[in-house]
Formats: sequence, C-alpha cells, structure tokens
Amino acid sequence: MTQKISRRDMLKLAGLGATTAVLTGCGPASKYVKREPYFSMPEYTYNGESTFYATTCRECAAGCGTVIRTMQGRALKVEGNKNHPLNLGKTCARGQAALEGLYNPDRVTGPLKQGRGNKLSGSAVTWDNAIGTVAEALKNHKPDEIAFLMGLAPDHLFDLASELTGQLGAPAPIRFGALGMFESRATLSRAAEELFGQAAMPFFDLANADVVFSFGANFLETWLSPVAYTRGYSRMRKGKNRRRGYLVQFEARMSQTAAVADEWIPIKPGSEGLVAAAIGKLAAEARGASAGAFKNVDAAAAAKAAGVSLEKLEYLAGLLASAFNPLALAGGAALAQSNGLQTAKSVLALDALLGNIGQPGGVFLSPLAPGQEAYHRPASAQEMGEFVQKINSGAVKVLFIHGVNPAFELPKSFGFIEALKKVETVISFATFPDETALMADYIFPDHHGLESFGYQRVFTGAAESALSGAQPTVTPFHDTRATADVLLAAAAQAGQALPYADEYEFVKSKLRQFVPLSGGFFAAPEINTFMAYFQQYGGWWQTGNALVAPAAANAKLNLAEAEFEEGEFFLVPFVSPTLGEAGANKPWLQEAPDPTTTVMWNTWVEINPETAHELHLENDDIVRIVSAAGEVEAPVYLYPAIRPDTIAIPFGQGHTAYGRYAAGRGVNPADLFGPRVNEAGDLAFAGTKVRVEKAGKYRVLSRLESKIGVYGEGMGEGH
Amino acid sequence: MTTIDLNLVGAKGALVEEAEGKWGMVIDQDICTGCQACVVACAMENNIAFVGEEDSGYGRSMHWIRIERFWEGEYPEVKMTHYQPMLCQQCGKAPCEPVCPAFATVHSQAEKVNLQVYNRCVGTRYCANNCPYQVRSFNWRDYNDDRLDEAIASLKNHFNPDVTVRRRGIMEKCTFCIQRIHKAQDKAKSEGRAVADGEFTTACAQACPADAIVFGRVDDPESLVSQLARQSHGVHHLEELGTLPRVTYLVGGQ
Repeated sequence: MTQKISRRDMLKLAGLGATTAVLTGCGPASKYVKREPYFSMPEYTYNGESTFYATTCRECAAGCGTVIRTMQGRALKVEGNKNHPLNLGKTCARGQAALEGLYNPDRVTGPLKQGRGNKLSGSAVTWDNAIGTVAEALKNHKPDEIAFLMGLAPDHLFDLASELTGQLGAPAPIRFGALGMFESRATLSRAAEELFGQAAMPFFDLANADVVFSFGANFLETWLSPVAYTRGYSRMRKGKNRRRGYLVQFEARMSQTAAVADEWIPIKPGSEGLVAAAIGKLAAEARGASAGAFKNVDAAAAAKAAGVSLEKLEYLAGLLASAFNPLALAGGAALAQSNGLQTAKSVLALDALLGNIGQPGGVFLSPLAPGQEAYHRPASAQEMGEFVQKINSGAVKVLFIHGVNPAFELPKSFGFIEALKKVETVISFATFPDETALMADYIFPDHHGLESFGYQRVFTGAAESALSGAQPTVTPFHDTRATADVLLAAAAQAGQALPYADEYEFVKSKLRQFVPLSGGFFAAPEINTFMAYFQQYGGWWQTGNALVAPAAANAKLNLAEAEFEEGEFFLVPFVSPTLGEAGANKPWLQEAPDPTTTVMWNTWVEINPETAHELHLENDDIVRIVSAAGEVEAPVYLYPAIRPDTIAIPFGQGHTAYGRYAAGRGVNPADLFGPRVNEAGDLAFAGTKVRVEKAGKYRVLSRLESKIGVYGEGMGEGH
Repeated sequence: MTTIDLNLVGAKGALVEEAEGKWGMVIDQDICTGCQACVVACAMENNIAFVGEEDSGYGRSMHWIRIERFWEGEYPEVKMTHYQPMLCQQCGKAPCEPVCPAFATVHSQAEKVNLQVYNRCVGTRYCANNCPYQVRSFNWRDYNDDRLDEAIASLKNHFNPDVTVRRRGIMEKCTFCIQRIHKAQDKAKSEGRAVADGEFTTACAQACPADAIVFGRVDDPESLVSQLARQSHGVHHLEELGTLPRVTYLVGGQ
C-alpha cells in the first residue's frame, strides 16, 4: 500500500512543523539557543514575550535601579525600576545607552597578556593561567607591596577587595573616579563635617523648596545623583499649592542647569563663597534677623569682587528672605577652588541662617545604606596624588586596577602614567580597552555590568536607606570572568582563601544580616527567599524616610579670595552632560547633542562672542589653550552665555584608546589642570588660568542646531 | 487651545474626523531639563541608526526626537529659551501626507497617527520637505549594514525585534511607539478590557527623569494627558498652519 497523505493530514503535519519551528527558538523548549539579533527576521515568526531583569545601572556610581528587557538571551532595552527609591522608574541618557557598552565592538573579549603595548595585544591566556598569575602576584609579594585601585562602582567588589586586603594585611583599596573629582565630593562632605559635626553627604531637598540658589552645582547634569535631583527639580518647578519654584544659578558659564534656571548670575569664578555670605547678610537684614556668621561681611565689597551690582545682590537676598522654603546648594567648579571649602561652608551657613537645616525643602544628611557603618567617600585628588607618589617611589610592586581609568581621568600633571612604569606587575580587570588597561601587563576582563551580580550602595539622592542590587541580565557574551570570582579563586590558590565559594555567595553572605530586619521593602523568612526577592525587585531598602536632620550649624568662616594661576582667561571645565566620564565609547551618546551647544562627536572651546571678536576668532577656528600644566587644541564655539574673561571646555573626550568611537576624538581638558588642591583635598581645577592662541587651522564642528531652519540660515550671527 | 469653526471652513465631516485624535502627548517645557534621555531612549527603542561625525555635521542625524533651544539677548542679559523637545506632532491634517506619490506616508484610521510605510517609501523626500516641524529623517546610507561597518554586527544585538530596521533611501520618523500601542492593545484585548490610562507609555516619556513628557489618550477627557492639555498655558506649535498637532506644549510656569 502506497502511503497516501490526505490533505487533512498534510495540514496537520505542516502545522506540527510550524509549531516545532517556533518552539525551537523559544528558550525553555530547547536547551541551547543561538543568540542572534532579529536583524533578518525569519518569516512567520511571532516575537514571544520578553523577560525582564531588575539590576543596577553602572554608567555612573549613583546606583539607579533599572529593569532590562531581554529576549532570547539578548538585552534589548534599559528601563528604570519603578520600585527603586532613587530613580522611581526613570533613567538618564547614559543609562539608556548602557547596551552600547554591552554590545560594544571593542570590548576585551578574553584574558590577555597585554605587555604594556599601545594597542590591545593578541596574546590570549587561559583563565587558569590568569588566576595563577593573580595568585602568584598575591603570594610572592609582601602585603604592603600590593595595591588595589578601584572605581566608584560596584560596591560589592570594593567590599570583597577590602576583605582580601584585610586578610593579606595589605593597604585598603583606593577608590577614585573623575566624577567624584568634578563633583568636589570631598569638599562637600568635609564642609558638612565641620558644620554639623558629622561626615556625610549633604542632601538638598529640592522637591520641597520654593526658591533655590545654586552655586555652581550642576545637579541636572552629572552632579552626584542627576536622575534623583532632576526629579526633585521637576517637583520644585511644579510647586506646592501651585507656587512655582524659582531657581537662580551662580556660575561663570551658563551650564545646562543654569539654562533652565530663572536667573543666571555670571559671577567671577572663585567669588561664590563671598556672594553667598553677602546674600546671607542682606537676607538677614531684610528679615530683620541677626546675620550670625555673616555679620562682618562687606556686601558692597563682595558684589565688587564678584562683578555684580549691589542692587542685584539686594534683590536676590530679598527673594530668599521672602521665600517659604529657601535653599542654597553648592558644588562642582565653585568648590574646586583654593577657597572651595570656605565656599561650601559659606553656602551651608547660608542655609543655616535661612533656618532650613533639617527642614522640608532644606539641607539634610543622606542616610547611610543598609549595613553601612560610616560615611565613605572616594579618594580625593590629594590622596590620589599621595598614592601616585607611593607608586612612583617603587613601593608598589603589584597593582590591581578595576573600574577606573586614571590614565585618562587623572590630570596628566599627577604623573600617573610615568609612575605606572615603576610597578613590576600591573593587572587590569577592564571590560573595555581603555588607556590604563593598555598600560597593564595583563588584562583579565570583568563582565559588563549587565552581565554581573553585585550591589551598589545608594550614597545620596533618596530619602530611604537603600542598597541597589545587580544581577546578570544576559549570559556573558565574551570569555570574561567576574573579577570577584578571579580574586576569590586566586586568594584560595595563594593560601589566603576567603570563606566564599564565588561572587554570588559573597553577595548572599552580605545580605544575610538584613533578613531579620523589619521595615524593608520586602521581607523573607530565610536568605534564599530573600536573595530571590532581592534579584526580583532590584535591591533592598527600608521604606521610611531616613534622611538625617543635622544639629544646628555653628559656622566659623574665613572667607578668602580664590588663588589663581597666571593667565589671561579663567577656565571652566565641566563634565559633558551626555558623555559623563566614560560614555565616549557609546556611539549614541556621541550623537546625542550637548544640551547647550548641540555639538556632537567632538570637543569644543566656549568663548564669549565679544572676546572672540577681539581675538579675531570665528566659529570652528582651532585655538590652542595653554596653561601652566599643558596645552590642548580644539575648535571654537562662540557661546553667548559665558563671561568674556572665561572660557569653558567639556570633559569626556580626548581618548587615545577606549575603542573606535572614543579614540582620537577631541581633547581632554584635564591635561590643563595643575596638581593644586583645596583645603579638603579636592583638585582646585577651577583655579586654572589659560592663554588662548589662534592655531591658524579650522575644523567644522558637527552640531544639531545647523539643521534647524535651512542649514543655519536665518538664525543670525553665531548660530 | 483654539477651536476650529467647522462651519466656516466647510467640509465639516472630514474635518471632524481629522480633529479627533486618539493618542496624544503633552510636553511641559517648564520642567524639561534638556538632558537628552528621551533622545537616547528613543534611539534604543526604535533601532535608530547613528550616522557619525561627518554625516551628522551635514544635518543627516536620524533623531526622531530632538531638543531645540534658542538664544535671546546678548551677554550679560542673555537667556536661553525653554528647552523644546521636537518630534513628529502626529498632525490630524498632516502636510507630509498629501505630497507622497507612493502613499508611503498615510494616516492610520485605527490609531489616528501618521504612518510611514517603509516598504512603500521610494525616497522622494517630499514629505520631509513639506513637514513644517522638520522631524522626518532620511536614511542617506545603509547605516545598519554590517558589510559596510563590521561594528554593527555586534551593536545590532540590542535591536528591538518589534521595530523594522530601515535601509538606505527610506524616510523615517516618530511613530508614537506604535509597537508599544499594539502590544498594550493586544494584551488588553486578550484580557477582555480596554487599555487603561498610563498602562504603557512611549520610550521618551518612560525615560524622562523630569516627567516632562506625558503620553496617553486625548479622546478620553479624563486621561492625564487630556487634563494637562486643557491647561491655559498649553499651545500647539505652528497651529496657524492648520496642521492639528497632537502634541501640546506647556509653555511657561503657571
């Protein structure tokens, strides 16, 4: 009998075939799934449901919670975690572009013997060899010859390295990040310590303030926790009882934050503390109260030093005096001056005078994260300088580097690059081939943040005490290995085993202490369930408001003029709001226009149009900017909102490595910074003065704004 | 918001249909901080190509949403205008639609948004020429072809399978994240209910840290977006052209 297949059977078979075809692509039905992008989508395929994983954003150290949409083992989209107390479901541009880091074509794809070359070496080693190398390095050196240099994130790895160095008897790991330097974190926390008797990161309750005076704090860009502060700003603007919040920004160059302010007061760099004091005195007079710490301030002299009229200061003081919830905050370049600590204290004293310390819309201290015993801040520039000197003296024989790129982020004048040559063995755990990684002997790449377990402490921005959790959202794409696992395995080989099997067990052991606590976002009877919830919700936090209301301030001010280097122009370096310190290797961040100039893909020098006219400079003319420490060349952007005696350069470009989208693009203004620090140890980079020379060349900057209108026509001069 | 005197204009039936929106957006310029989160979120959601320094310098960047800003006055009395996110206004009476010879840019009857049918588009660019908001972008090259740029082979792993990848010679623009609209409608339908206000939102509104962008049903007077759009300081850009935009901008504080 010949086998006859009826039409009905045929349809059944065809149906079965189609079902099978769909199922094989559907994760759980087949054990192995080939991960490929749906670029050339098979026909008649129905996109299944996505899987979402809660984790923590690693694009900066703020610790925002994210939820990653994945499909068939690929991460597709970053969204904010709505439950997370810091960002409440929101993200910034840098967080959105995290995927371009994960899928970056220039990642370090496996362990390498790098051998300090100019580009990534081709000599791969096995992970067994890699772990052996780390173990040898730990075993064959005296503890004080070993050093760990780490970035601001992730915290779990820092904790692990701290335990390891503790066990070895080696110096504690040093943490550094360019954002911490540009934020002047050390100055801010030191001022809080001196005024409130408690070292902590101040939290400024923008959301409940109605008149806000910001002295150089670029809180909508990269400062401390930009998503949280943007949320606060938004609520401040919408106002309470329909009373719209009012923002005044004091700085020499109109930043993105100043651009959305109601008033921008272009005061002379370095005069912020004096201005705050003068406003405090005038506001106290307007209220008929005692001027407290400011009683000896000469308002007229302060106005003169800042280059504003006394009437203007009186008007501004009146605004503050008549506000219900006035708030003053300081940060960034304003504190990166020789008198930065006094400026920070002056601004906090102004808050104290206005009576808003510990009040809604006022100044609080950020709560410590769960399990944290004391406020911890990264190394200041001064401490980094001492560390570089120690390396330079040859005292460090083995240097482990993770999550930081000091060859780019530290000013060249610190001499890190030269010092590194004195270290016998440099082992980098870099995910990307950045400048520092290339100078290492070995690169043992860590997973990307979206492929990793871990946690990050929320150090400011949320009212709750929060620990943000991280978990892999995809299986690692490359032959990378968690640095925590490498360190644990190497420590065991070196006979210094820590009591954790792997990274996951380490994280779990750190969470155990929270299981019996009440008042958390979730509760679980035992650690395994707790860990499951921790991964599901993206962290653990206590639900109540944990902001610390500090004791009344007792300020002793010693306001002095800022000291500047020799030079014609004040230099205002600012972190690129779109790139941050490490976004240059992500093409969509490069193509996201700078919010104020709309420039993409390059570095520019902002010069006031009047000044440019005097120097015979046009848009796109290349200028040479010369400081005592170095020089850079970049095209001019005629920026209408900058003081004529000031120029500004964004930080974020100027890489010589770090992948195809970053390398050889723009310049790094940190090359211009000298090693001078302020009283709190932060770099006094805003005290740099520079000379401007015409280089006789030009390069057309790529800007979005020329697209508006007919390629810039009809927009007037300077556009 | 001005009302249109339909009797005066004539063609009452057609205009009523055009004036009725379904999906709409409110953008509060007073709280927009210009941070570009919406721009990057949109690019990640909608598989938008980056074009590189040279092409973007020629104005070929493919942003579906961009943030405009203008200057007023001169130093020291200089002021930046409020940041103004600009995207396809999903006009009820869209100037781009009648000029397309290929019927690639048409109006959706179901969703009442402007569609761009990529496989009809022949790249005349008439629509971009006629768009008063300058929000259409054209694929001048095959930016997503990994034979031309090997880096794309890795980067395209994040591409959203719900959104078509466009080729050279195709015009594209904001779709109000129509893939999200459809997904929410499918889900609601399978659960036998209507899509709730705020159940889903566009990628730009979802990312916006200031909550300056709100998306929803404008034909539901109770929805958040309708309530916000009714405020006295809401304006429609280039309203005088009669485009009936679905995006309302809140300008200035209250």
